Amino acid sequence: MASSAPPPALTLPPSQFARLQPHAYLLAHLSPPAASNQPSLRANGRQPAQFRPTSANTGSLTHTNGSAVVRVGDTTAVCGVRAELLPTSDIASWSVSHASSGAKHRQNTTKNDADADADESQIQDLNLLVPNLSLSTGCAPGFVPGAPPSALAQSLSHQILGLLHSTRLVRAEDLRVWYQVPSFGGDGDMDVDADDEGQKKKNDGKEIKAFWVLYIDIMIISLAGNAFDAAWAAVLAALRDTRLPRAWWDADNEMVVCSETVAEATRLSLRGLPIASSFCVFEADAAAGWRAVIVPDAEEEKKIEEDQRRGMQRRWILADPDGYEEGLSQERVCLVVDREMGKTVIVKMEKNGGWAVDGRELKQLVDIAAERWESLKLILEQC
Amino acid sequence: MNKEAPLSIAERDFILNALREDVRLDGRAADELRPLKVTFGEEYGHVKVQLGRTSLVTRISAEVTKPHDDRPFDGLFTIAMELTAMGSPAWDNGRQGDLETYVTNVLDRVVRHSNALDTESLCIVKGVSCWSIRADVHITDYDGNLIDAACAGIMAGLQHFRRPDAVVKDGQVIVYGVDERVPVALNITHKPLAVTFHSFDEGKRVILDATRREEQAAEADVVFGLNNAGDVCFMSKFSGSPVDAMVFVNKTSVALDKVKEINAVIDKALQADLAKRAKTGRAEESRAENDR
Amino acid sequence: MVAPSATLSVLNRADGSASYQCSSTGSNILGSVNAPVELPGRRDALKPEDATIEVFVKPGTAPAGVGERYVEGILKTLLGRVILGREKGYPRRGVVITLAIIGGESVGRGDPYLILLPALLHTALLALLSASVPLSMTFSATVLAVDESGQIRREPSAEDAATAQSVHVLAFSSKGHLLLNESQGSFDFDTWEKVRQRASAICHGTQLVSADGDVAMAEDVDGRPLEGTLRETVEDQVYRDYNWKINAA
Repeated sequence: MASSAPPPALTLPPSQFARLQPHAYLLAHLSPPAASNQPSLRANGRQPAQFRPTSANTGSLTHTNGSAVVRVGDTTAVCGVRAELLPTSDIASWSVSHASSGAKHRQNTTKNDADADADESQIQDLNLLVPNLSLSTGCAPGFVPGAPPSALAQSLSHQILGLLHSTRLVRAEDLRVWYQVPSFGGDGDMDVDADDEGQKKKNDGKEIKAFWVLYIDIMIISLAGNAFDAAWAAVLAALRDTRLPRAWWDADNEMVVCSETVAEATRLSLRGLPIASSFCVFEADAAAGWRAVIVPDAEEEKKIEEDQRRGMQRRWILADPDGYEEGLSQERVCLVVDREMGKTVIVKMEKNGGWAVDGRELKQLVDIAAERWESLKLILEQC
Repeated sequence: MNKEAPLSIAERDFILNALREDVRLDGRAADELRPLKVTFGEEYGHVKVQLGRTSLVTRISAEVTKPHDDRPFDGLFTIAMELTAMGSPAWDNGRQGDLETYVTNVLDRVVRHSNALDTESLCIVKGVSCWSIRADVHITDYDGNLIDAACAGIMAGLQHFRRPDAVVKDGQVIVYGVDERVPVALNITHKPLAVTFHSFDEGKRVILDATRREEQAAEADVVFGLNNAGDVCFMSKFSGSPVDAMVFVNKTSVALDKVKEINAVIDKALQADLAKRAKTGRAEESRAENDR
Repeated sequence: MVAPSATLSVLNRADGSASYQCSSTGSNILGSVNAPVELPGRRDALKPEDATIEVFVKPGTAPAGVGERYVEGILKTLLGRVILGREKGYPRRGVVITLAIIGGESVGRGDPYLILLPALLHTALLALLSASVPLSMTFSATVLAVDESGQIRREPSAEDAATAQSVHVLAFSSKGHLLLNESQGSFDFDTWEKVRQRASAICHGTQLVSADGDVAMAEDVDGRPLEGTLRETVEDQVYRDYNWKINAA
């Protein structure tokens, strides 16, 4: 008694298709059949160059000098800045000067930087900024309790530290605690030798007695791709929120004393507002993997216009990738830009893991990053 | 992994049977070292040691730090050795194995605890600043007898190293670059070296400077640390089967001979390097004069 | 400009090895590759159809820290795209690359590893070639610093890099793709394009396509293109290895 009805076709709900064939799933979203009249969208419904909704909130932690929570889509980063005093007597290298250290200082001062500071390198030499990023347990399925800091967390920490140094975001002057040495009569017996090493410590009887060390702890409590952008935005927001209490040297007790009055605490004056935007490249040919890779020649490839690309050659540059998209792409681009008087300044530009992005593509991405700068600036200024 | 692939039974028997007839795989006598070559790099304290097919690079570095609170007059000296997959595919990167812990411990005892480097001479200002000397051992090829090779590398490095000159002036320490003032040699009190023996057949046969295969076939090892004067500063029989006490007595004199032999090789290399530097140094001086 | 010098297969135990000296930055790097090796305990590798690549950078005179993890990440991503990890015998196995900085200055905490990056990349590439690991292409890399007056300086020293306005590392594949870019400092896009052009000239020279379609390497202000130097190192090694065969023929 054969039934006349044909066996039902094998169908899968989209959520299962997405797990079984992630690459084909995203590819189908990005290249819908021409007949369907659907726009090319990412699986999460965003345009290729669209960032996720971002929100920021500052001052949520009470026991820190500054804190911020930044959400970029489902990625959430919490950052707390804690300032500790480091007396110069505890610094081993403080009383050490190198006879030939003249060339060591960084001199990339920008034009509107009136207070060009010769000792700006103190931040780096004395480790006054200590960022540490942790990917908390359960922020993504792969993170189990009790594991040592993953390579990702370590390299993100390093990236943040490197960026803090290279952008010179924090001014060394903000972190110094000075002491005005009272002058007792004539300065006739000033040592002639004091000149060369004296530059560093004393000018006009002023002496640095201590430094503030900023411990910048970042915790990613939920990771859904693009941890760096969120972490950096959180660091930036937290530093903007940071207030350092007034501190001075108490000559009688020989120690640094801080004022308890909140009104006396001062904010840091940061240099610029560098903002990070990350991208990933999704290639149509990734299934690729099971076959031998045929690498096209760069010169020939440049001749193909982006909208002329067909089939295997197609690729999409996706802004602010989520975890799903990050897992499907190898090539990453990270741009950190700042804008001064309508001009875009690139502070950091990284690309790695593939050959799709070259000069032409990077130029477009810089423009996208500049737009992102405008929108994120508004968000950070409102919080 | 962290363990070398074990010897096959046939291989082990072959090594053992040959030893019973006083023959070693590479044709050496029981108390013979493999050819030892010590060369120095351009920088001070950069040593390359080649002992047979075991090779390593030692680098010595110095920086100014704060001394420990309980020893304000002492400088710091650390020996760092990390086994990487470069030396042997069996070693895992970034994971400490038993061999690493053992060898580091022995090196610490032979060189550091015997006070080969006078740490008090590293003090600059009491309790405030001192030199911290660091010896990094990079194992580039492993074919047995890490301890002796690494020890020779560290001692040669310490003797070759020159730290920048530092002067205290008004409580300020001024460090002069290598090109400004003649750098200072370290204060070496004595030159201890390690000599390792391996025993077979319940301690009846003892050989010196075992290769990797011989080490794997051996039952136990005995390490001596002594200097040219014959002062013993370290002696260990760490694990493995028992060894006749007479081995310690008999082999100490053999070890002393070997220490003298290795120290002679190091001295010769140091002399040659010094002569080379003096020659190029003069060449530079004369060139500088020509410039003027 | 003194060309870097390199030697292949310098070690006994490792499957492949290379030593690399760059006289202008003073770096001396020893690299070893073990491949393919079993990596027990890492069976849950992300991609079972691919080889797992492990990179380990060992600083010369300091304990390894976060900076090393970061540069390892860069090398791993780049090499992951170059190594054909799906060739026979490689899936589910490991390619273990160890790079030891055995000469030259150490990199301080928080300092960018950029100056050393090209040397590390070249060492890794030569060691991979020496271990006969299948690669989809070779590459060459260089580091450039731009100072305040806009002058581009090739392979700067650590001091030059510290005072420079921006520092750039670029790597190009043997087919001319931009494989890697790491730029730090403050600069605009036009500056970067100039840097890219100069870097491309350093790595590949000005390319001349001869009649039969072969690409010839031409020399220019920067001396021999790096690509050619690396190629020659490998050719020399091949010649030595097959000496017996060539002489017999």
